[in-house]
Amino acid sequence: MTKRRFSVAVALAWVLVVVAAAAAAPLLTSHGVVQPVGHPLASASSGIPLGTDELGRDLWSRLLYGGRASLGASALAAALTVVLGGLAGLVAVVGGRWVDSTVLLVVNSALAIPGLLLALLLVAGLGPSLPTIVLAVGLGGAPGFARLARQAFLQGQTATYIAAAAALGAGRVRVALAHLLPNARPQLLPLAATYYAWSFLGTTTLTFLGLAGDPTHPEWGSMMNAGRLHLLDAPHLVFLPGAAIAMTILSVHALAGALARPRPRPSD
Amino acid sequence: MNRSTMRLLRGAACAVAAAVVSACAAPTPPPTSVVYGLTLSPTGIDPHLNASAELGIPLTSVYDTLVVQDPLTGDFLPSLASSWTMSDDGLSYTFHLRSDVRFHDGEPFDAEAVRANIDYILDPDNHSQKAVFMLGPLERVEVIDPTTVVFHLKAPYPPLLDSLAQVYLGMASPKALATWGPSDYQFHQVGTGPFRFVEFVPNDHLTLVRNPDYAWGPSIYQHATAQVETVTFRFYTEPATRALAVENGDVDILGEIPPHDAQRLAGEGIGVTPVTIPGQPLQFLLNTKRPPTDELDARRALLLALDRPAIVQAVFGDTSPVAQGLLSGLGLASSSLPEHDQAEAERLLTDSGWLMGTDGVRHRDGQTLELTIVAPSWGNNPEVGQLLEAAWEALGAQVELQIAPSFGQLKEAQEKGDYNAIGINFFGTDPDLLRPMFASDGVYNWTGYRDLLLDDLLRRGGSSAISPGERQALYGQATQIVLNQVLVLPIRDYVNLVASSPRIHELRFSYTGWFPLLIDLEIGS
Amino acid sequence: MVSPADRPRNRLLIPLLRRLLSGIGTLWAALTLAFVALRIGGGDPTQSLLAQGLASPQQIAALRSELGLDLPLPAQYVRYLAGLVRGDLGRSLYTGRSVVVTIGEQLLPTFELALVAFLVSVVLGLTLGVVAGWFPKRWSGRSADALSALATGVPVAVLGLLAIIIAAALARAAPPLLGWLRSGGVLLPALTLGIAASGALARAIQAGLLEASGAPYLVAARARGVGEGARLLWHALRPVLPLAVALAALQAAFLLSGTVVTETVFSRPGLGRLLVTSILEGDFPVVQGLVVLAAAVYSITQATADMAAMALDPRLREPS
Repeated sequence: MTKRRFSVAVALAWVLVVVAAAAAAPLLTSHGVVQPVGHPLASASSGIPLGTDELGRDLWSRLLYGGRASLGASALAAALTVVLGGLAGLVAVVGGRWVDSTVLLVVNSALAIPGLLLALLLVAGLGPSLPTIVLAVGLGGAPGFARLARQAFLQGQTATYIAAAAALGAGRVRVALAHLLPNARPQLLPLAATYYAWSFLGTTTLTFLGLAGDPTHPEWGSMMNAGRLHLLDAPHLVFLPGAAIAMTILSVHALAGALARPRPRPSD
Repeated sequence: MNRSTMRLLRGAACAVAAAVVSACAAPTPPPTSVVYGLTLSPTGIDPHLNASAELGIPLTSVYDTLVVQDPLTGDFLPSLASSWTMSDDGLSYTFHLRSDVRFHDGEPFDAEAVRANIDYILDPDNHSQKAVFMLGPLERVEVIDPTTVVFHLKAPYPPLLDSLAQVYLGMASPKALATWGPSDYQFHQVGTGPFRFVEFVPNDHLTLVRNPDYAWGPSIYQHATAQVETVTFRFYTEPATRALAVENGDVDILGEIPPHDAQRLAGEGIGVTPVTIPGQPLQFLLNTKRPPTDELDARRALLLALDRPAIVQAVFGDTSPVAQGLLSGLGLASSSLPEHDQAEAERLLTDSGWLMGTDGVRHRDGQTLELTIVAPSWGNNPEVGQLLEAAWEALGAQVELQIAPSFGQLKEAQEKGDYNAIGINFFGTDPDLLRPMFASDGVYNWTGYRDLLLDDLLRRGGSSAISPGERQALYGQATQIVLNQVLVLPIRDYVNLVASSPRIHELRFSYTGWFPLLIDLEIGS
Repeated sequence: MVSPADRPRNRLLIPLLRRLLSGIGTLWAALTLAFVALRIGGGDPTQSLLAQGLASPQQIAALRSELGLDLPLPAQYVRYLAGLVRGDLGRSLYTGRSVVVTIGEQLLPTFELALVAFLVSVVLGLTLGVVAGWFPKRWSGRSADALSALATGVPVAVLGLLAIIIAAALARAAPPLLGWLRSGGVLLPALTLGIAASGALARAIQAGLLEASGAPYLVAARARGVGEGARLLWHALRPVLPLAVALAALQAAFLLSGTVVTETVFSRPGLGRLLVTSILEGDFPVVQGLVVLAAAVYSITQATADMAAMALDPRLREPS
């Protein structure tokens, strides 16, 4: 237990640090991300704590601003997934049998294409760029989230007091908002966290594949992609953003796990 | 007498007798073998049908072409055709063929074979991706007699000889073409060249073995037959680990070494040869149809703001020459481009009304100095594009960089017209390359610039009936106009960095720069 | 996977058929989705060919009618489905070659990669899961737990690049190992992908075992004198297996998307690379063909896994 609590604390600390660093990026560095500040692959010196990247730009600045882009893009994508998927799940549960079957059909057919491939497909349709990736990852995660959200809502619906509320004449929308949503919250919260991790992985994977467009403006996945050419002579170009990505995903996983575990009741 | 001396004597005896007694050649050559690394794994390698540049590296040695280009001067020399003439109207070329040539399968090479090859390429069902376009306005091939063939054109087409010198129009055995058909011929290729095609296992290897009967090589080859027994091609598609493969002796020859690795390899005694690729340098065209690059002063300012040697140094290290003109490797006089002059660049912009605001961005009459760069995703263009962005941002412009992942998307961006600078360049061995890009009606006139004098110079330069000296002068004048108008930002002349292990000697390349002349390859101790 | 003898056969057959039908329905819907997704961009893919000078306007017109692009969307959709039934996926816009042939050429390297990776993931996933779940307090169990957590969290791209660096370092010491790095070598990419895929399996088995170790039937088995050791483990593992089979099928999804990244990281030829380059080039018939293939493979493995799970666990045979 203590070990688990420790790892959750580390995860929380990492997430807080990363978010704070991304938010306060302009305060933490004096260099921009566009202008070279020295020779390519120069080693660390005063003012450039991590040295320069493959084109001579300050690596520290690029990591900070890159985190901003990765975290922001994946947060937007996850928000899209949660809102769309949650809404679909809710509508399926309160909308009656036909609506439920229709939603299920769409969701299941979308699930026959693995999420990342679905996102790739959407990027193919819309053209490669970071906004497209946000949209594609957001839509790509929605079917899976919808299915799990529907289950959570269904469990909530069986509670007798909801049936009672319906019997008393509360409208479907009202039941959905006043009862189903708060009831399912303990399940939806860790689910949303898990899908944030998924969005983050999806976003950085697609940008790593070179689908993000402009490489001047850093993003962790794109930075890994650009650094690949120097994999053997300057591995830190790949592994600093790579480690940041891995740490973030592991941390969000750990937090989602902690959210999902029922809090010990006093009687236990 | 030790064994190697024996072999030497036998070899000498056979060299004398080779022309008559081909059977003798079989046991003679020492069982030498070379591993040649390819940098991408082509999906199809039928030279008549597929377009990959990579396929030419092995197959240039499997096929002979009607004519060849001198590797140094680019002059056209006889090969399968011992002589040729062009009609005065430029509409027909008559080729007189050698009669002593046999395909690797024993079939004789003759005029019918030429016609069969061209028909195979022209057949729309075969979906040729490159060769058919290289034939231009070719109408048909007429067989006069077994050693005479005439190419009839619908319109004059000066690049025909250039095309016929390339492996994509190499002569394949009509019997093999008919036997295997367009989907399988690539695995059973039969030519007349110094090496026979043994096998191609996609994504794994391709093997060539010496053709002992080869006796009709063009004069550009130093040897009569190949000096190594087998050449095995393997694929090294991951750029980061290419140098490692050479260092460890896993491969003897490997091209397209990343520049920073080339420097390290050279330090370890492994030869890295920069092979010049003739044609246009890595360059960005400026759009004269869209503000602010529609004004000459703005274009000049953008050029002056670039420290081109620093950009080349940052992206390509010490191994690449800074571009000095519109074409490289073609023997044209290099022209001088202005050096980096930040103060002058700033002055030009300020004088033309672009005033620096407090936000670090220049404005004029309420408009922001905005620039859009479109860079292709290949050939280090994105890296150069990022440094252009940095340089112009420092000048006070708001810059957007777009990456076009394929030629189609590059062209799409160009058609929309929302760009100020766009990266594009073509390789080629004829200065006529300039015409499609800088003539008013050129297919690749992406600068949008129109100039009757320039059109006239390029037209006269491209016509066939003109002396080399006159040509030089015409292209010199044309280049001056293009540079004075700052239609293009030339950055770096192309070189292919080829690493080879110390035991490899006499590694030479065709005039196009990409294809090795494997027949002359020698192995030392 | 033998069904218990006391149950009539049709009790198994009907649920299986139902599962199969729903699998086909899902597949059809997925194919439709692929069709729609690629047309939301609205661009005409043949225009970029014209733009590249790779085809004349006449050839483009011919190509458009060959692809059915001059037809209204519903008619295109019918053509598309009819083509699929005949096994015809159309032609690549760039090479003009049949999509079936283009995909077929790249099938083998990806299949090889996915198969070896699958084996790696099953062996590694089982090992890590059992060790972590059966010895939760011991050092070995804790390490297994940490490793499987890492495997689930570290992206394939990071793992793969790490693998290249390690292999390069080894190869410097022992040059024969360099063969690993050559394009076509399967070991390194398959290890990467297999490790990444093993995490989920390991964690499921671990959770199942942890839950089972306190369960009454296990206590009873111990009381009956089944003892510690392997037989007891087998008792505990039995109920976890259907879940493990279902997860192994889910791996198919992971492997499908994982090959895209793995092949890119190792510059290895295959379907994943073909997909990325086709997307970048806008070669939509090839993209469409690949998605159809992925959906088919995925649906089939899902259905197979569900049926296998039904055979293993009678409770699953009731319609949900």
